[in-house]
Amino acid sequence: MRYAIEAEGLVKRFDDTVALAGVDLVAGAGTVLGLLGPNGAGKTTVVRILATLARPDAGTARVGGHDVVRSPDRVRKLIGLTGQYASVDENLTGHQNLFMIGRLLGMSRPDARDRAGALLARFGLTDAGGRGAKGYSGGMRRRLDLAASLVGDPRIIYLDEPTTGLDPHARAELWDVVRTLAADGVTVLLTTQYMDEADQLADAITVLDRGAVVASGTPDALKAQVGGQRLEIRPARADQRDAAAGIVAEVIGRSPDRRGDLLSVPVHDLGLPPAVFRRLDEAGIPVAELALRRPSLDEVFRVLTGTPRPAADLPVTMERIPA
Amino acid sequence: MMPLAQQGFTLAWRSLVPLKNSPGQLVGYVLQPVLMIAVFVYLFGGAAAGGDRHLAVLYALPGVLAQSALMATIATGVNLNTDLHNGVFDRFRSLPIVRAAPLLGRVLADLCLLGVSVGIALLAGFAVGFRIGTGPVQLAVAVGLILAIAVSLSWGSALLGLVSKTPASMQVTATAVIMPLTLGSSAFIPVGGMPGWLQWWMKVNPTSHLAGAVRGLLVGRPYDAHLASDILFTLGWAAVMLAVFVPLAGRAYRRRI
Repeated sequence: MRYAIEAEGLVKRFDDTVALAGVDLVAGAGTVLGLLGPNGAGKTTVVRILATLARPDAGTARVGGHDVVRSPDRVRKLIGLTGQYASVDENLTGHQNLFMIGRLLGMSRPDARDRAGALLARFGLTDAGGRGAKGYSGGMRRRLDLAASLVGDPRIIYLDEPTTGLDPHARAELWDVVRTLAADGVTVLLTTQYMDEADQLADAITVLDRGAVVASGTPDALKAQVGGQRLEIRPARADQRDAAAGIVAEVIGRSPDRRGDLLSVPVHDLGLPPAVFRRLDEAGIPVAELALRRPSLDEVFRVLTGTPRPAADLPVTMERIPA
Repeated sequence: MMPLAQQGFTLAWRSLVPLKNSPGQLVGYVLQPVLMIAVFVYLFGGAAAGGDRHLAVLYALPGVLAQSALMATIATGVNLNTDLHNGVFDRFRSLPIVRAAPLLGRVLADLCLLGVSVGIALLAGFAVGFRIGTGPVQLAVAVGLILAIAVSLSWGSALLGLVSKTPASMQVTATAVIMPLTLGSSAFIPVGGMPGWLQWWMKVNPTSHLAGAVRGLLVGRPYDAHLASDILFTLGWAAVMLAVFVPLAGRAYRRRI
């Protein structure tokens, strides 16, 4: 089995809106696939189909080699699901939640108790395990939800926007959990609207927009697809800015964009930047900042989904981090 | 243990264990039958039985038992509807469990609560002077009949809960169904002296037959004249409701989730 998750031409309509308009995606066994897209792109619908919670109107999907429509029970034996809105039973304690899942999966009482205890410990919830989940913080609830999806030791896990609404600390904790899962060889399908999250965690990314895949590939490939690298130069002296821009234009063959005192130009031939540095040095133009950088996934995302890019001087990645 | 049984019991446990954490939620189950006994024995009963309170207790208590069971079935639909709006059902559905297990768990849990309600009603009845004039076998059969009607009606309640938009709308509809079913019966007031159309309804109403059967079984004479037909009618109603509601609820459940 090459792919743990394969979907082809998934279509889903709700009344007269088309949620998915033919989505293809694959996730190799033991890899992390990031499903990236803005709100309403159809990410949750994809997850619900792959988790056998919804039926596609057209197209097929196989999880662990089993068709999600024809053999949903086989698929359910393989997967763990952590929804966008933590699906824990608020009326039960943390321990009772996990114990219940263990029993539902056919474990004996002692086994289910042990498993619950071990998972609570793994997610730092041992002390809170005897308290009602109603009183948990958002981060604790999300961790309990994740623990609940791991009771059966699934080899394939869906994480539907696991960090939406979490504070940066709780978010970092969840990232660590995902990394641990990936290190254990679990296949992870992670949906997110945060580019940095996909960039940090995913081996491959599928970008979804308005129910259709607009790009897929490794994070590096996606960045390259959008524009390769950019050379950025900030001359130390303002009166030399034009001279510097002239040299850049001459060597690269394109005049640089100016953002304040920063000169920025896309480069496709990596032999050229050293020539630029040499020429600037020869011309006696000291440089305060020099960088060769890839576009952030944020920019990639904005280009691919057609969302206008933000004003250039805004710190692009910071604004995406939820409060 | 069979998977369905383990899953059903686990999900029933899940519904019942919060009551252990906050027993306050049980107050309704306790208060309802006590209140009903007060109303029908002391408020109306004395009048209906010509001022004889003991006779009123003998007549009304079996009715209260039946009514407590019927009222308690509303909870099934309300709780089910609440669960549907709760992410936890998505979790259940993504697990390799029998599809109907959450439905079964709900009905099982409500059956336990209903047992509590009926038990309390019986105890309250003893407190105001009710005595079983027959024997333990009759008591067992009476409880069995009450459970049979309650279980079959629970599935109707489940159906209503599955097709209702919100728990509140479910509650309103269910009350509108249960009220004529319980009050429009001979559970508390004998049929004689009612207008013809009401007599007709009271005679077909399953609550009348259930209350009549329970009365005949627990009190004995003079209420056991129609005992056999009341038992048959009750079982017939239970069978019909099961045959109608279980498949419909199953279908609504598959649609809803």
